Amino acid sequence: MLALESLTKSFDGARARQVLRDISLQVPDGEYIAIMGESGAGKSTLLNLIAGLDRPDAGRVVLDGEDLTLLDDAACTRLRRVKMGFVFQAFHLLPHLSVERNVALPLALNGVVGRDAAVRIDEMLAAVGLSECRHDSPAKLSGGEMQRVAVARALIHKPSLVLADEPTGNLDADSATEVLELLRSQLKRDRATGILVTHSTIAAATADRVYRLSARGLRQE
Amino acid sequence: MAAATRVVLDASVFGPLRHAPGRTVLAIAAIALGVALGFAIYLINRVAADEVSLAARSLFGLADLAIESNGGFDEALYPRVARIEGVEVASPVVQVEAKLIGQRGALTLLGMDAFRSRRLQPAFARFAETLSRDESDGSSSSKQAVYLSTSAAQGLGLSAGDTLRVQVGLRPEEFEVAGVLPPVALQDRAGVIDIATAQWKFDRLGRLSRINLRLAPGASPARVQQSIEKILPAGARVVAPGQAADEALRLSRAYRSNLTALALVALFTGGFFVYSTQSLAALRRRREFALLHALGITRREQLVLTLLGGAIVGVAGAVLGVALGIAIANLGLNVLGADLGAGFFRGITPSLQWHWLEAAVFCALGAGVAIVGTLQPALDAAQIPTAAALKSGDVASGQVRTRWPLVITLLVAAVAALLLPPVAGLPLPGYVSIALLIVGAVVAMPAILQRLLAAAPRGQSVPWEISISHLRGTARYATLSVSAIVVSFSLMVAMAIMVMSFRNSLDAWTQRILPADLYVRAGSVGQSSHLSETDVAALRSIPGVARLEVSRLTEVSLPENLGTAALVARDIDARQASRVLWIEKQTDKPTPPDAVPVWLSEAAADLLKLPVGAEFDMLIGERPVKASIRGVWRDYEHQRGAIVMERAAYVRLSGDRAINTVWMWLEPTASVEAVQQQVRDLLPQADYDLRTPRELRQLSLQAFDRTFAVTYALELIAILIGLFGISAGTSAQVLARRAEFGVLRHIGLTRAQIASTLAIEGAGLGGLGVVAGLVTGGLVSLILVYVVNRQSFHWSMDLFVPVGLLATLSLALIVSASLIAVFSGRQAMREDAVRVVKEDW
Repeated sequence: MLALESLTKSFDGARARQVLRDISLQVPDGEYIAIMGESGAGKSTLLNLIAGLDRPDAGRVVLDGEDLTLLDDAACTRLRRVKMGFVFQAFHLLPHLSVERNVALPLALNGVVGRDAAVRIDEMLAAVGLSECRHDSPAKLSGGEMQRVAVARALIHKPSLVLADEPTGNLDADSATEVLELLRSQLKRDRATGILVTHSTIAAATADRVYRLSARGLRQE
Repeated sequence: MAAATRVVLDASVFGPLRHAPGRTVLAIAAIALGVALGFAIYLINRVAADEVSLAARSLFGLADLAIESNGGFDEALYPRVARIEGVEVASPVVQVEAKLIGQRGALTLLGMDAFRSRRLQPAFARFAETLSRDESDGSSSSKQAVYLSTSAAQGLGLSAGDTLRVQVGLRPEEFEVAGVLPPVALQDRAGVIDIATAQWKFDRLGRLSRINLRLAPGASPARVQQSIEKILPAGARVVAPGQAADEALRLSRAYRSNLTALALVALFTGGFFVYSTQSLAALRRRREFALLHALGITRREQLVLTLLGGAIVGVAGAVLGVALGIAIANLGLNVLGADLGAGFFRGITPSLQWHWLEAAVFCALGAGVAIVGTLQPALDAAQIPTAAALKSGDVASGQVRTRWPLVITLLVAAVAALLLPPVAGLPLPGYVSIALLIVGAVVAMPAILQRLLAAAPRGQSVPWEISISHLRGTARYATLSVSAIVVSFSLMVAMAIMVMSFRNSLDAWTQRILPADLYVRAGSVGQSSHLSETDVAALRSIPGVARLEVSRLTEVSLPENLGTAALVARDIDARQASRVLWIEKQTDKPTPPDAVPVWLSEAAADLLKLPVGAEFDMLIGERPVKASIRGVWRDYEHQRGAIVMERAAYVRLSGDRAINTVWMWLEPTASVEAVQQQVRDLLPQADYDLRTPRELRQLSLQAFDRTFAVTYALELIAILIGLFGISAGTSAQVLARRAEFGVLRHIGLTRAQIASTLAIEGAGLGGLGVVAGLVTGGLVSLILVYVVNRQSFHWSMDLFVPVGLLATLSLALIVSASLIAVFSGRQAMREDAVRVVKEDW
């Protein structure tokens, strides 16, 4: 269960402004939700707060009973390592690691190695349709293929929460559809909670519930 | 778990190293070069020092103590010492520096008593007995026997049965080489003859140079020393064998220390290069670091992993550097000798030996420098704001911050360090000041760069506009690239100015102290060769000779155990000393009636720590003399210090009428060649130097260039490492800018225009680095000239700036930087414009 309780966040500087005000949300285990909103509405900021990559000015982020806002950076990082997976708009694959090694990285960080790891990597690469490219470097892949690797990396260690920030923003329509279907099917297969941040109504339509983030707050559509 | 660690290491450490093999190799090479030079210089110095110590020690055999005196002492002391309680064996020695005929330099000859020396130097007592037998049998009436040490035999190219020819005064003496001693018997470049022969042939009848002493078991060395000191004549002292070794090394210490410092400069530059490449990598990999943090690698783990990357580069470079260092040391010893061409250890031919512990220390040093160089970039990497960096990887590359309080603190500390005295005779505060100044310049670079870029003119051309905009937008990258040049180029500028100042000062000094038309020189300080007054009278009678001046070179004992200095007794008018000496300071105060006027070289003045006008006691032979310091003069010849006094006073005090140097002024109409021929006709058998001032000047400059040859090599390597910095910086940026170049190609820029853009950026960075390097290097050169050299060698010099050389170097560096930038970018220019625009990483 993910619970956001009265989250508030402002940014300082020349153009100081309050991005999020009193945001509350409960996402039951296994649910896949989409958050839509205009540019600058605070979608990515909200995602960063959920991931523990940024700190709210007020409010709490509770994942499986643990308040992330009370954890220090190292504890938060360890929690992310075990319980979260990420898919980014810009793929963010490590350029010097092969496809297989990129996917294996979260397993390695969680100490899963040997036969267990090999079996899970084989399954995941087969699931995303990239078994043939396992030894290739990311530079040799197309955009859609890179994002499928990113999905595999986000899910390989069976996290309880997957955060996807505009995962189709850099993809053509066919590749986008492919990736969205893959993401949903894998989330449902693993019964993981998913939060998709997107501009696209087509992408948002693949989620169980859709929310809209605006200056007035977070509203379900 | 090991497999997990491997994947994480692959992601964070090995992968990035493999991903940019060129930069990794350059970083390893930079550390390797620094370690190699440091280790090579250390090994050569250590091997030479070991050899010199061993050689000096071997002259004493198994002695516990020795009595010695610079001018020697009466042999009547020997039986009195031998009877002192606690002395088990006393072995008298006559030691002479026999001037070799037909070659430069002298050979140490030890006159030994076979019976007495047997228990102190058993390894060659057997040979000494043979010498004594020959002597008593009268078996060799014309030639006396000499046993040569292995190094002397090799150095002189002599073996058993050959003849050793030396000169006493201008009289030739011949010795038959009876055999070659094994290295274990005598390490020094020396020969052993019978003590009576030594006294007879070298005009030392009734005199001894040293008495080696072996104490009885259980005897207290301190008590025996006290008993001996009660009966010692003036000038004689009791020494432990180790002191002789220390004295032998003292002369070359400043040279060796400065060479080591210069080698460590290369390592410092290498460390800075690692800092520069790691900082660039940290900037380039911002999103990678952010991603790894998002995936679950803590900041502390990131710090450790980044440091591990630096340590791997450091260890790889250090191991390579140690291997390279051993090879360079071997080459240096074989080609240049143990003193790297400086002429301190003639005749010393050590073989290279190294120990694992030494190699491990230098490995640790290289790895340590790389880790220190990585520390700040690693801390930066561990503090990257994850969310922001994932959104836009390059957000921080344009942000620069100048820590003005730190810059000011560093510069103030640099000036304060200059006020400190040398440490253990070495100019360590001077070096600290140089390091602080350079670090201060590097820290100040961001602000300087920003101001210069802000002042750059706009609207020249498209490549110019793109270049300047890019440099402004990526000021952190630019600062790092420029800093690498500032470090290496400032050191090169400083060394070039210092070397030129030294060389020109030496040249000017040589011309000033060589005012005559012709010079005759027989022997040097402590050597057996010299001219007599009769010889000089004969020279005076040569037609065409207008006038002569003469000098005697010998040694004088300084007070308070300060050791010895060279004594130059010469014809000099006390009221016009500046006519023949380069006077730095002098006094008009009258000389006290009970003192002799003397002029101290700068080294002697520093040793005595007395002002001009002061008086001190010294010993000429065994005779105490009160000296009044009339002035201090510049001297580049006698490193341990020299004292000039009037020859007439010297003859009166010592009775020594020998002469080493004759200055000859010729009549305006006389032919130098004709006079030279007449000198040779007058002194046909003798070995002496007969030279014109021009030849002497050439010889001294050749010796200077030989001595500094190795420093030029070290400088070139430092600048090479600096160019690595430009290359690494540019290639890192070009990789990051492939998409930008792709866009530029899309909108119509030709490859040539992109090349121009890169060339302008490279030249701009090179130019900024050169200007900053010239300013910083100029300041460093002032410290080298006026502080480090003065404290190391006790020599003043005048400042000369090699404008032409610096202009050429500056131009070469700017052109190199420009070419390297274009070369590094050629790959980006070749790539498909469409593909790179679509590419994400």
